[in-house]
Amino acid sequence: MAEQPAIAIHGLTKSYGKVRALRGIDLEVQRGEIFGFLGPNGAGKTTTIRCALDLIRPDGGSIRVLGIDPQANPVAVKARTGYLPGELQLDDNLTGEAQLHFLNELRGRKADWKYVRELAERLDLDLKRPIRNLSKGNKIKVGVIQALMHRPELLMLDEPTFGLDPLMQQEVLRLLVEAKRNGATVFFSSHILSEVQAVAERVGIIRRGKIVEVAGVQTLINRSMRRVRIQFRHDVDPTALTQVPGVSLLKRDNGRAVTLQVEGEMDALLKAVAAYPVVDFETERPSLEEIFLAYYEDERNSHKTEE
Amino acid sequence: MWATFRHELAHMRGQILGWGISLGLLGAYFTSVFNSFQAQMEQLKQVMGYFPPELFEFFGIDLSTLTPFRMLDIKFFSLMPIILGIFAMLACSNLLAGDEETGLLDLVLAHPVSRRSLFFGKFLAFVVAFVAILLIMWAAISLFMDRAVLQVTPIQMLWPMVSLFATVLIFGALALLLSMVLPSRRMAWSVSLFVAIASFFVDGMAEIEPSLQRVSELLPYAYYQGAQAAFGLNVGWVVGLVVPAVVFVLLAWWRFERRDIRVAGEGGWRLPLPARLRPARRRPAEARPVA
Repeated sequence: MAEQPAIAIHGLTKSYGKVRALRGIDLEVQRGEIFGFLGPNGAGKTTTIRCALDLIRPDGGSIRVLGIDPQANPVAVKARTGYLPGELQLDDNLTGEAQLHFLNELRGRKADWKYVRELAERLDLDLKRPIRNLSKGNKIKVGVIQALMHRPELLMLDEPTFGLDPLMQQEVLRLLVEAKRNGATVFFSSHILSEVQAVAERVGIIRRGKIVEVAGVQTLINRSMRRVRIQFRHDVDPTALTQVPGVSLLKRDNGRAVTLQVEGEMDALLKAVAAYPVVDFETERPSLEEIFLAYYEDERNSHKTEE
Repeated sequence: MWATFRHELAHMRGQILGWGISLGLLGAYFTSVFNSFQAQMEQLKQVMGYFPPELFEFFGIDLSTLTPFRMLDIKFFSLMPIILGIFAMLACSNLLAGDEETGLLDLVLAHPVSRRSLFFGKFLAFVVAFVAILLIMWAAISLFMDRAVLQVTPIQMLWPMVSLFATVLIFGALALLLSMVLPSRRMAWSVSLFVAIASFFVDGMAEIEPSLQRVSELLPYAYYQGAQAAFGLNVGWVVGLVVPAVVFVLLAWWRFERRDIRVAGEGGWRLPLPARLRPARRRPAEARPVA
């Protein structure tokens, strides 16, 4: 029998009063992959994660986490999952170490304490300090450790690097990659798209409670439009170039330089350009950030149309 | 469940010591004072005779049979359901809703602990903390009381504590239930405090105005014996208080099993208010700056 996906969500709906937070989410995260979950604030990222952990109950649809229905058997799901909430709150009266000991007690003392110390060292965190004296970044480090300390099969992290300095962001990303290398599945939401691009193999983009795209990061980038900047030896009329299917003019700096947008294959454009003496030819793919912002722009436009 | 229980009980250490020692000292103070009242009892009755009789009726005082022990009952035990009720209502409304409002519950419930074991682990810790406070009070009163004057033994003094436990438990259980039903912890504890104070006043007023007797019988305070339990605990009344408290706790658990855990902060009623009375809506979410 084929191994079930780490997360399988079908037709998931959830409303808060009149607000429809999730409008039929369909999403599958395969075992052993790092999956980035993208979306603007209020798009439904946290609601989806909290439904998967049975912290909130969906109105409709189905969820399976590691093949288990989290509503029917939440404890079994949570035993095999590490979770970092987006709004992390720790017990201010405890030290970092005492907090982790308590959470480890809840896990039936499954954590490897040597690994906990190693994680604290790598994240440059003093576990003996009271949590009330820790900065936001250091509190997040405690949160990251508690999610990783029992080496879970599935990590669900809601903005794991938000509030960390760039060095620590890199360290946390390294930990996620290591967890994947050790067989774990990593599902994380983030606003820092460069980091998603750096570590995630696939991304899902959620917009107003619906998944609008699920694809490999590279596929998404390859599939998107390219920008091409051409410098000619002498003045050229760009009409001949813009008549090529999939090509549109973005900018004409002077008679000799044009910036074009190309959708699809480059072959026809290259043949059209070959008719002119070219000094320089630059092509550029958009970053994941630009792709995401394009989706977000679409949302804003559709929102305005609705209004 | 035991991990939650131990953690919650450790959290309540300060409250056990704070409430236990304070009320123990108060009990010891009143006990010491009334130990010395035996000789002045007749003068005291004469002075009290100048006060309006309704005042004594409110507290159920019969001047002809007033004793130092009865004075201890009136001055100390009659107010204890309200004073200890404040502890119980604050603690119970805070048990789950407090952690929920700070966001800590989100983290705890993401661990392999069932909602049932979390609920009962925390509630059991509250019960143990409450019993510990009562035992400190009992020990302080027993230590300072003059048995010859008050005419009770320390063992007999345990029964008023049982009556007090049952009465306060019902207020705590009500606060716990309301914290699972109402949008905020503050609202839960405010409503339950109102019920506790109303119960106290209706019970007192029913001594003056018999038409209130029926209402009084529906409220918990009517079944609180106070120090009089030392001379015979009304087990029926204790059971009559504990059973609804257990029902409230079970209803709170039932509700907790089925409800969404809020991310953080208080919820709202989402009342269908006219547009001009509605609080301003937040603008549609926008993306945070990207790195």
